[in-house]
Amino acid sequence: MGVRVNEEWFSICGGCEVTILDIGEPLLDILAKIDIVHMPVLMDHKLFGQTGEKTEMEVPEADVGLISGGIRNEENRTLAKEMRKKCKFLIALGSCACSGGVPALANLSTTQELLEKVYRGSKTTDANGIPNQQIPALTDRVYALSEVVPVDMKLPGCPTTPEMVVGALTALLEGKPFSPPSKSVCDECPTIREKKATGTLKRRLDAPEFTPGRPLSEMRCLMEQGILCDGPATRSGCGGSAGTPRCIRAYMPCEGCFGPLSDTANPMVDMMGALSSIGLDPKQIPDRSATFNRFAGAGRLRPAPRR
Amino acid sequence: MNDTFEPLIIALCCNWCSFAGADLAGVSRIQYPPSIRIIRVMCSGMVHPNLVIEAFTQGADGVLMCGCHPGDCHYQEGNLKAEKRAEAIRMMLPDFGLEEERFRLEWVSAAEGARFAQVVREFTEQVQKLGASPYRNS
Repeated sequence: MGVRVNEEWFSICGGCEVTILDIGEPLLDILAKIDIVHMPVLMDHKLFGQTGEKTEMEVPEADVGLISGGIRNEENRTLAKEMRKKCKFLIALGSCACSGGVPALANLSTTQELLEKVYRGSKTTDANGIPNQQIPALTDRVYALSEVVPVDMKLPGCPTTPEMVVGALTALLEGKPFSPPSKSVCDECPTIREKKATGTLKRRLDAPEFTPGRPLSEMRCLMEQGILCDGPATRSGCGGSAGTPRCIRAYMPCEGCFGPLSDTANPMVDMMGALSSIGLDPKQIPDRSATFNRFAGAGRLRPAPRR
Repeated sequence: MNDTFEPLIIALCCNWCSFAGADLAGVSRIQYPPSIRIIRVMCSGMVHPNLVIEAFTQGADGVLMCGCHPGDCHYQEGNLKAEKRAEAIRMMLPDFGLEEERFRLEWVSAAEGARFAQVVREFTEQVQKLGASPYRNS
């Protein structure tokens, strides 16, 4: 019998599960060695027993647990604890599980404000009651998985890369150590940096200056061209073995999807420092907390104080 | 002893001007409040906003950043960089629930011992008025 694997998803879009599928051919080799015993996106395995006979949520015992998504409601929280109990090795898959991801931008508002806005305040829908029957209650904010249960490994990314998932799973199967990259996106970016901005801040989708057909190593750093790029405060790894970061390859600025460089890092302070150091005006950044914590809101973003 | 609040202020002084200025205040025996803890840095331009925010989140009531007067920087334009970063720091303080007045950037030359003492006196008073940092006991 192979290595038993549990997979569970919480507050997430499902993109990280698609990444598992996106592994392609190497997936066949891995599948031969593992037994997936619980995976809601893939199979019909019910939490309260197949006929609903149990009173508590239960997942099978497993060697490896994969969890994608942050903790948004009480069901997520209970299930995260259950997964931790049943899995020997727990992996946080994707930025939502690692640092809250995009759903954690909701941490800029209180849960009550969110419910009011969605069910009553929105101009495009009829005001209605806030649902509270038969559904799990929302937590007070979005939590990263590691804020709720201890996590053995974090694989960031929105979505994470197939290469990283393969690397982690193969290393686990072979009993070898695996650590995701810890450098910044800038460390892997081939563009030319001169530590001085060439102009003022541009809008994010403004086209950068480059010569089509020439390699990226001849293009000036996007940030120095005035295009806001989250590279300095973002973990590398998105480029995989190719090295060059994914978005840079497409002449687009880094969005910060691999999350902050460490659990204690504050991407907003890092980015404001980076911007002002090269001579760009940090005042021009709209909504800096959200902009620079786009994938790292859990534990970092909080509602603005009332004045 | 009186009960007035004794703030804890971290002063980041550049090696070439402000630290020498603080030294001069000392050897000239100029009195100033004992509220500051001076950290010598090579240049005010090396003070990353992270260091200042870290000082605040660790419980400092105020942070004073001192560098050479513009044009006098030992490294040509380190203090100009510091000025831009200081602007970013001031903007970010409200995001952390702190008042902008808890942070101050001052130019102090090596000959301005008296000015250094004056700056510390003023800043200490200013921070005293604001009270203890909300991060102090957390």
